[in-house]
Amino acid sequence: MGKEYAAPGEYGLADLLCCAASREVGDNEVVFAGTGLPMVAIMLAQKTHAPNLKLIFEAGTLDGRPPEIPTSVGDARCEMGASRASGLYDAFSIAQRGYVDLGFLGGAEVDVFGNVNTTCIGDYLAPELRLTGSGGNPDINSFARRTVFIMVHEKRRFVENVSYITSPGWRVKKWPEGELVPRRELYGAAYRGGPSAVISTAGVFRFDEESGRMYLDTCHPGKTPAEIRELCQFDLDISRVAGETEPPTREELRLIHDVLDPDQIFIPRVPQG
Amino acid sequence: MSNSKRITLQQAAEIIKNGSSLTFSGFTIWRRPMAIIFELIRQGRTGLHLIEVNGGPQTEFLVGAGCVDIWESCWVGHELYGKYGANLSRRVGNGEILVEDYSHAEMMFRFAAGAAGAPFSATQTSLGTDIHNPAYDMLGRAGLRDGNNPRIPRHKYRFVDDPFYGAGQQVLVPAAKVDVAVMCVQQVGEEGTVRVAGQYYSDPEAARTADITIVMAEEIVPEEYLRREADRNTTPSFEVNYIVECPFGAHPTGMFGRYDVDGAFLKDFYGRTRSQEGFDDFAKEWIHGRDHLGYLDKLGWPRMLKLKANTALNYSAREKKGE
Repeated sequence: MGKEYAAPGEYGLADLLCCAASREVGDNEVVFAGTGLPMVAIMLAQKTHAPNLKLIFEAGTLDGRPPEIPTSVGDARCEMGASRASGLYDAFSIAQRGYVDLGFLGGAEVDVFGNVNTTCIGDYLAPELRLTGSGGNPDINSFARRTVFIMVHEKRRFVENVSYITSPGWRVKKWPEGELVPRRELYGAAYRGGPSAVISTAGVFRFDEESGRMYLDTCHPGKTPAEIRELCQFDLDISRVAGETEPPTREELRLIHDVLDPDQIFIPRVPQG
Repeated sequence: MSNSKRITLQQAAEIIKNGSSLTFSGFTIWRRPMAIIFELIRQGRTGLHLIEVNGGPQTEFLVGAGCVDIWESCWVGHELYGKYGANLSRRVGNGEILVEDYSHAEMMFRFAAGAAGAPFSATQTSLGTDIHNPAYDMLGRAGLRDGNNPRIPRHKYRFVDDPFYGAGQQVLVPAAKVDVAVMCVQQVGEEGTVRVAGQYYSDPEAARTADITIVMAEEIVPEEYLRREADRNTTPSFEVNYIVECPFGAHPTGMFGRYDVDGAFLKDFYGRTRSQEGFDDFAKEWIHGRDHLGYLDKLGWPRMLKLKANTALNYSAREKKGE
């Protein structure tokens, strides 16, 4: 029984993102998820190749098995089948203690080292637009062994310098001077890893272990490496492209649309026929 | 004697003076004490200093109404019903409000320190981010870290090398110190014992940190009922100063086991309050010139019944999500 992949036209970009993100999850891992697409991706993994993953939401549900997608991490649905319902002190202590294998997050801007901004656009002291703020983004990115970001790909979002470093990447600022240093050096004993992938609407990006710089790993179907490099303000390494992003399978699409998100809260259905 | 803590919504809001520092129960769009928030707006409170583990509609209403001078927290928005806090964004852009940014874990650990009576917590979170950029210490820039305000610490954070195990650089974050915590929960006993159903978010720490804790509950129940299963209770009676009975008091935010988030209401609020005129119009329609019962009257039974949770599932099976 080989995998039955969906044909182009049978799935949308959100489906592809969700499936690509789900493939980052290993079975038996402890996964910390934010609201939205990351949540759908993890629950998809839980229903396919990673039935034993442990799901943590930062509002305080630990090892839950929601039958349908919660609207946010504070939602009552998060608690269905949970091992424990508690609060934020538990969730963040668990992360700082080192239990979390994988974090799933979003962001408004990212730089070549995986530093992410969710705080403001423009000068912090006189912002053009104030965004939501950090939330748990820096905390999960500080403590998980690896972090996957899911982002809309626009040139204004893949930038040379983010407006504000909300969440730490592979090279971070050492205060009070603010010089860029390798993450391991600053984090010392608290070092566990960092951003492992960015899954954008254009492709999948990973980071070089040595330099901490982002490179293009796979292009989404229909995109070329050169096109994707043009969508970045920084000099994107496209020398290591491994091919196309694996499309969704028919079973994955069925789970997303019939089981996890039938009301199309986070993932719109692509009209068929 | 058993009723000595019971007060009205109006009295609860009157306890919160101009310039008070405040924190709230709940998480983003869940279990926020909205009925008291609306009453504070009716009473025209000014100069509030919000210290929150995270923000939500309660922040956006108070900020939009001009009640807030300082906001220390990490996040504000309405989840999928509003991308960010439009009122806070507008007032930050206009320089009308001071915002001090921390990370979510830092804010939680600040409350844990406050609740433990410790002056600070040590953590490693957010190392290397602009949260620790000394140029972005906004209360310091405003000259407010001179020690004159007992709610404002002398530093935003401090770095220290672990003196015990040699684990490298740590961040010390100051304890949260607040005048009043306003909680919104399912049940409170006549003497103040609180039982939260579902995730308790940062409620126990928020209630313990504050000098005065006001609990607004869906129902006030006999103390002996709660004391039969003390392991299910989240806050002991003596940490609570005042109790208020207020059904549907968290609307438009949700309450586990009782009612869901009113997504349509929040979407409407987010859409209409992206300008100050829009906010004023919204406040005129929903807040001013009516009390809590008037608010529920305007909301109407069909809408409230649609939100009402199924007691087996703890959420509403009628409410189509995402609407």
